[in-house]
Amino acid sequence: MDFLQTSIDGLLFGSAYALLALGFSLIFGIMKRINLAYGSSLLFGGALAVWLEPFLGGGALGLLLVTVFGAAVAGIYVERLCFSPHLGKTGTMASMIATFAIWMQLDEISSQLLPQRTHGFAGIDIEAISFAGIILRSDHVLHFWVAVLAIGALYWTLYRTRFGLLLRASADDPEIAYLLGGRVGLLGVATFAIAGFLGGTAAFLILSSDGQITPHFGLWSTFKGLVAMMLGGVGSLPGAIVGGLLLGFAEAHVTFYLGAEFRDILTFGLLLLILVLRPGGLMGVDVYRTGRLATERI
Amino acid sequence: MLEIENLSTSYGLIKALKGVSLTAEDGKVTCILGPNGAGKTTLMFTAAGILKPDSGSVKFGGAELAGLAAPKILQQGLALAPENRLVFPQMSVRDNLLAGAYIRHRSEATQVEEDLEKIFERFPVLKERTEQTAGTLSGGEQQMLSVARALMSRPKMLLLDEPSVGLAPLIVDEIFSIIRQMNKDGISILLVEQNAVKALEVADHFYLLDQGKVAFSGTPGEMANDDVIRRAYLGEH
Repeated sequence: MDFLQTSIDGLLFGSAYALLALGFSLIFGIMKRINLAYGSSLLFGGALAVWLEPFLGGGALGLLLVTVFGAAVAGIYVERLCFSPHLGKTGTMASMIATFAIWMQLDEISSQLLPQRTHGFAGIDIEAISFAGIILRSDHVLHFWVAVLAIGALYWTLYRTRFGLLLRASADDPEIAYLLGGRVGLLGVATFAIAGFLGGTAAFLILSSDGQITPHFGLWSTFKGLVAMMLGGVGSLPGAIVGGLLLGFAEAHVTFYLGAEFRDILTFGLLLLILVLRPGGLMGVDVYRTGRLATERI
Repeated sequence: MLEIENLSTSYGLIKALKGVSLTAEDGKVTCILGPNGAGKTTLMFTAAGILKPDSGSVKFGGAELAGLAAPKILQQGLALAPENRLVFPQMSVRDNLLAGAYIRHRSEATQVEEDLEKIFERFPVLKERTEQTAGTLSGGEQQMLSVARALMSRPKMLLLDEPSVGLAPLIVDEIFSIIRQMNKDGISILLVEQNAVKALEVADHFYLLDQGKVAFSGTPGEMANDDVIRRAYLGEH
């Protein structure tokens, strides 16, 4: 029974990791570049939400809206500064180093917004569910439903709309997408805004589950998002979902059986193991095998 | 009618086109021959709006296109199927075709679906592979997809850049019969080819491009009778 309970807890929490990884993966899949400032953009959203709360009110829902909005705005800021000036093939390194600088900047701004270092972060209360001796914590149930909604919205946008068609075409070959009439100039901004929405939602879920926010959240979420993405397969959307769930599952079990101090050891041990056994990640096989695509990534 | 006049395009300091003038008539197949590095692809890219010319004019149906952005040129009815069949490898065949119809307005959704059916009639191989990702198609199938994708925008004129390159002779025959069929259906074609023997079967007029300039212009008969061209492009001695 403990095993089942822990597994369910892990998978439900993992759905927030999946959202985190999806944002990362979307940027990587479309821009073919790593965004090191991703976590700090999310931290900025959360910090802004906490800082504005006394003025705006709105409780948990207000926190959610401001976090998502702040993360998306910070994402667009990162795109304008670090990605759009370096679109050429030679700009890969330049944009990665630029994101490192912006990471530091956003972390610093966020620290200034959080003068007491640790601030409370309210959550949305919904009913916990219990059946047959299994309890689904209310924050976990919220994680699950919000993640399902957000992932559904993402897939609908990508696969059912004209905009999504253009976004996917441009990820494959921006020059041809332009040739076919797509105005691809602002797709980077759109990508970062969507990634900000996904990541900001994940940040709200995780922060409200913890009940607090600290300036360390940026680094933490960059690591968790990166690891979940790499577990599943770099740049693969289904991979990000699987990687997030797997990470949540594994962390819950290690915390339950060995204690919380082993959690991060497991996280990085798991990453090492996957990278040795399947360097492309669990779902990244297709990408990994097609040589041309593999060299174009990174 | 596509009228290109005195067109010059350069990559940095390198002048790839040095004042090219040519005309592609409505309802005809016009073919541009030339060795590698002659500027054929540059000419196509400039006409389609991917490259900006230094000087000169590109007129299509009387409207000036030189310097316009690619989406605008496509809206005027000039579509390019680029060299090396650059399909979207990770997207399905169907999505590739729909991306070809991207510029068409939302209200045309039913016509786009009808055109999709017509495309599948013309290219039965694509119908069998609708949901397959384009990267898994064979070279010939990718070439057909590339042409089909360009057709989805309902162009008046199709710019075809070396459709036969790297394909087996049987597939090349098939591609050329498709070109003939498309032309019969009323689409004007500007074709860039290195395979002069095959091009002779379809083209109404020839231009020879060499080092960024038009070196020869004439009908298929005139071309086949020109000694230099016969030796260089038709493999006769």
